[in-house]
Amino acid sequence: MSGFGGFVLRRAVGTVITLLAISVIVYVVFYATPGNVAQITCGPRCSPEQVHQVAQQLRLDDPLYVRYWHFLQGILVGQDFSTGTSVEHCSAPCLGLSYQGDTQVTQLILAKLPVSLSLVFGAMVLWLILGVGTGILSAWRRGRLTERVLTGITLAGVATPVFVIGLVLMIVVCGQLQLLPFPQYVGLTDDPEQWAWNLLLPWLSLALIEAAAFARLTRAAMLETLAEDHIRTFRAYGVGERSIIGRHALRGAFAPIIALNANNVGSAVGGAVLTETLFGLPGIGQELVHAVNVVDLPVVVGMVLVIGFFVVIANAVADVLYAVADRRVVLV
Amino acid sequence: MSEAIVASQAPGTDLASVPGASGARQFWRRLRTQRAALVAAGVVALLVLLALAAPLLTAIEGQDPTTYHPSLIDSARGGVPVGSFGGVSGDHWLGVEPQTGRDLFARLVYGARVSLGVALGATVVQVLVGVVVGVAAALGNRWIDQLLSRITDIFVAMPLMIMSLALLAIVPSSFPRPLLVAFVIGLIAWGNTAKIVRAQTLTLKGLDYVSAARLSGWNTWRIARRELLPGLAAPVITYAALLVPMNISAEAALSFLGVGVKPPTPSWGQMLTAANVWYQAAPQYLLLPAGALLVTVLALTVLGDGVRTALDPRAASRLRVGTGRKREAKADADSKKATADADSKKATADASAKMAATEADSKKATADASAKKEAEA
Amino acid sequence: MRQPSVIARRVAAASVTLVVAAGAAACGPKDNDAKGAGGDSKPQKGGTLTVLNANPQEDFDPARLYTSGGGNVPSLVFRTLTTRNRESGAAGAKVVPDLATDTGRPSENATVWTYTLKKGLKYEDGTPITSADIKYGIERSFAAELSGGAPYLRDWLIGGADYQGPYKDKKGLASIETPDDLTIVFHLNKPEGEFPYLATQTQFTPVPKAKDKGTKYEEHPISSGPYKVVKNENDGERLTLERNTYWSAATDAERKAYPDKIDVRSGLDSSVINQRLSASQAADAAAVTTDTNLGPAELAKVTGDKALAARVGTGHFGYTNYIAFNPKVKPFDDPKVRQAIAYAVDRSSVINAAGGSSLAEAATTYLPNQKSFGYTPYDHFPAGASGNPAKAKELLKEAGHPNGITVTLTHSNDKDFETSPEIATALQDALKKAGITVKLQGLEVNDYKDKIHSVKSEPGFFLAHWGADWPSGGPFLAPIFDGRQIVKDGANFNTGFLDDKSVNGEIDAINKLTNLDEAAQRWGALDKKIGEQALTVPLFHPVYKRLYGSAVKNIVISDWTGVLDISQVAVK
Repeated sequence: MSGFGGFVLRRAVGTVITLLAISVIVYVVFYATPGNVAQITCGPRCSPEQVHQVAQQLRLDDPLYVRYWHFLQGILVGQDFSTGTSVEHCSAPCLGLSYQGDTQVTQLILAKLPVSLSLVFGAMVLWLILGVGTGILSAWRRGRLTERVLTGITLAGVATPVFVIGLVLMIVVCGQLQLLPFPQYVGLTDDPEQWAWNLLLPWLSLALIEAAAFARLTRAAMLETLAEDHIRTFRAYGVGERSIIGRHALRGAFAPIIALNANNVGSAVGGAVLTETLFGLPGIGQELVHAVNVVDLPVVVGMVLVIGFFVVIANAVADVLYAVADRRVVLV
Repeated sequence: MSEAIVASQAPGTDLASVPGASGARQFWRRLRTQRAALVAAGVVALLVLLALAAPLLTAIEGQDPTTYHPSLIDSARGGVPVGSFGGVSGDHWLGVEPQTGRDLFARLVYGARVSLGVALGATVVQVLVGVVVGVAAALGNRWIDQLLSRITDIFVAMPLMIMSLALLAIVPSSFPRPLLVAFVIGLIAWGNTAKIVRAQTLTLKGLDYVSAARLSGWNTWRIARRELLPGLAAPVITYAALLVPMNISAEAALSFLGVGVKPPTPSWGQMLTAANVWYQAAPQYLLLPAGALLVTVLALTVLGDGVRTALDPRAASRLRVGTGRKREAKADADSKKATADADSKKATADASAKMAATEADSKKATADASAKKEAEA
Repeated sequence: MRQPSVIARRVAAASVTLVVAAGAAACGPKDNDAKGAGGDSKPQKGGTLTVLNANPQEDFDPARLYTSGGGNVPSLVFRTLTTRNRESGAAGAKVVPDLATDTGRPSENATVWTYTLKKGLKYEDGTPITSADIKYGIERSFAAELSGGAPYLRDWLIGGADYQGPYKDKKGLASIETPDDLTIVFHLNKPEGEFPYLATQTQFTPVPKAKDKGTKYEEHPISSGPYKVVKNENDGERLTLERNTYWSAATDAERKAYPDKIDVRSGLDSSVINQRLSASQAADAAAVTTDTNLGPAELAKVTGDKALAARVGTGHFGYTNYIAFNPKVKPFDDPKVRQAIAYAVDRSSVINAAGGSSLAEAATTYLPNQKSFGYTPYDHFPAGASGNPAKAKELLKEAGHPNGITVTLTHSNDKDFETSPEIATALQDALKKAGITVKLQGLEVNDYKDKIHSVKSEPGFFLAHWGADWPSGGPFLAPIFDGRQIVKDGANFNTGFLDDKSVNGEIDAINKLTNLDEAAQRWGALDKKIGEQALTVPLFHPVYKRLYGSAVKNIVISDWTGVLDISQVAVK
């Protein structure tokens, strides 16, 4: 498996370069963002002297490249911070300290990540069921009413922003019908049953939006496979339609579904901003929007890097899975 | 951006079609045979017409999108419209907006201008950048390809929403906002387009007639212009039809986060954002923009499917299940790519297998393409 | 200024205007709010109170909190020398003793204030509270690491301006004396009759020096109140408070502390909070919110439902939303132009944009319409409910603009319904009728704050708001209109650059008064006088309406905070 080893190495180097580039871009963009960070951190009624002290403490007066270098140093060797009464060490890889919350960014990410992962992987199960199921049905019942209705529903999911779908679902399901609790995050390890009940609605909202893509992909791939020669041969031999769909046609759709899925999961880890905000799930996306609003640069950089990391890893996983599913693909 | 963005990037996009396979006449003939696509085209045309004729239509109604009508709302009850169906009347065809009494019909048709305009503008930017980067990467030498591919990766991996929040805050507010929103979406979210174009170009490059052109000494530019661009037209147009609804959703999501188009200019995204809390007290306020968005996305998707089918005769033949034509030997490589964009990966994978030596890393380009979404939901 | 923690989006605001003249003092909510919806039975101890909030309690360090008692939840943990009177309406705008035996004894022309602590006060670990701990708590609020509090201590205490906090300066502040464990004396650099109000702020909470962990102290601040923090997750996102057994009701006349446990959950969408409170299922029946108001859409739904409407608490917080002018920018240097705009303003459409007449009350005075502020009704440029464009045009003509003017209105892109685009577009529409073409300049929130509070970049015509640090005219008028408070190189709040000797002199004279009623009257008169200059156009005062769960009883909403007092609530 030297080929695989080489693939991993190349991807690892590529990932580091990509993430470094992203961190530079985020630094530059947020450096230019309006908002007096020291004043925001200090409070609206701070005197100019106090604001100056805070700026010094946060190293805001340093030139951009010095601040970036300091950030890199933190990742490589860690950083020390004063709490006033003592000095605290943030060990490498240290992404710095939140300007506003005095929390280490790495700790913040570790606290938020389980929420985002819970949301995304649960939603993934639903969108695969909804999307692939719809795709199979519509390939099978092509041109009939069933297909049109199913396609319409999945497209409606695409067309309606989550802040509308999610809120309406919540008002109806939790408020009026009282079938589910109003979502509030419960840790998986604290109470798995409550975890699932509370996340069901967010999962559904997110899944409705993603499902259409899978439905279309599945349908298209299956139609293509169904048109191939060997399927016709099976048909000629009298193999049942169900068996053809289940055993053969679906297999053809397998690889692209895996690829699409890995990518969706990667970007949804930090990307479900609106879902997290609406349902009050304290995940990466919600924290990130808050950090942008208060120009909390260390948090923004740290979180964007985490998101980028997941996207890049998901892409690599997709490639590997693809190669496994389709032997003709060579990992490069 | 909206999770919506995400998804609509649809698989089902046909990335490959036989280059130059069909002339315009053939295309129209094939398109005409698809009733659903024709209806969808009609709907899209109608929407565009509504948007263009907004001033005329509102003049007929006798309203405009910005005038307040305090007498039509009940101030003590939060400003809910007076009268049934949200204040529908001969003067206000679709009722009035809660809290202001502004005419909803006028806001909806003027909103169409902004929403469709921003979405189209962003799509144009995405396609331009995507095609230039994708083709350059595919035709350039190893280093150019590496460089451009890495840059593309960076843009795919950056969260669109977060970068938009920052960029929209940096640019002075005097810059025309709809144009700015279109540019920001377009300039951040072109990564997937570039990946798809690069993959497709690599596939085309491996085909016999392009190789032939190369061997006969045509320069790169001429090959790109004469042989590749026509072959790219089909997948790009198809993909663009899917980008438009994604971009409409992106605009809506940016409005929700408070950085979209600025009031008093109406947009569907802004209306949705303001209206979602009114779902119980004034449902039509929410249903109007949501319905408009739904119709637009449906129509564009169906139209996109139709265009794809019309551009790719092989796909058309496959539409009749079980009667697919026998694959021809030469089409072996392309046959795979036919369907979903994720499939394009396969396509390139096959292509690269063929030209293994020369194009070692072509396959990489793609699966991510399917991935689409920088979107955030 | 206090940025009301309130607000998530869709807040609204307001108060009673002229109508109130007769009953300004009585405008507090007393009818249905006093009794909870949970039946008429007497409030009992026990149960868990759930708090559903939009914003996490990110700051839980007494040094960093801004408002009196640090707002609602912190006031359960932090006791201060004095505190707000926990009663509904105007009575709740009074200051009363808390840790101290009285509200303070002034001497030497109100420049020296002496307090004596009650006997038997203890922290959550049973150790006694001493006056030295209060001194230390104040000192640490001067540290740059713990910034965020109000500016008054820095401005008023002798040596306060240069003091850098106990981490850098071990000697401490000489202007705070603690002759014994129960006595604390403050030496001010000028007379300040309102010092008792200041002593309600959490900087006056005792902090035991041995337990101080600097910026980490907020993870577990040591309680002096009826509840202690037993869990603080994700920087204040989820808080669990349980009884502090060393707290004694005998020393605390203000906090009722009925529930056994307080469960604070935040990071919720404001519309979801209101949905949950209205559904009131399971634990949500015993839930309140301390930061989310009913928005107009929700109000429209609630008013149609009698059972729900009975579960709405209504309150008035001293707060004014207004148009501000920078008289250094043309054409606003001309008082006639400013007056023309004041005449042209359509307050009813502005109020609609802010949430309607139930959530906002028209304002023609800068001071809030409450007695404790010294509210003195005036309307120097009467625009009626919907504006007087004819008079505005006439004034513009006199000012040399017979064909009208084109101006730029700067506002924020916040979703607060105060300085946000909704209000700006309502004004734009109204001013059009007076021949004033308004271009809108919407800025992202941080950009907006930077610009309007900077002497160099302040726009000529913008939306602004101001809230009360405590219910008196002093902190409402002085930062905005005292010429000596113009800050050239930092955050400036005197946006009209008013530097008028007679105004400055009157502010000094009122600050000397220790009779707060008399002071209030003089603030009201001063407000009326300043109003003539049309440096601001008051638009509206907010009315806060908040839902509470069906099992929640003993609702108290004072005019001091305008929102339900969590220390009074019972769930049994």
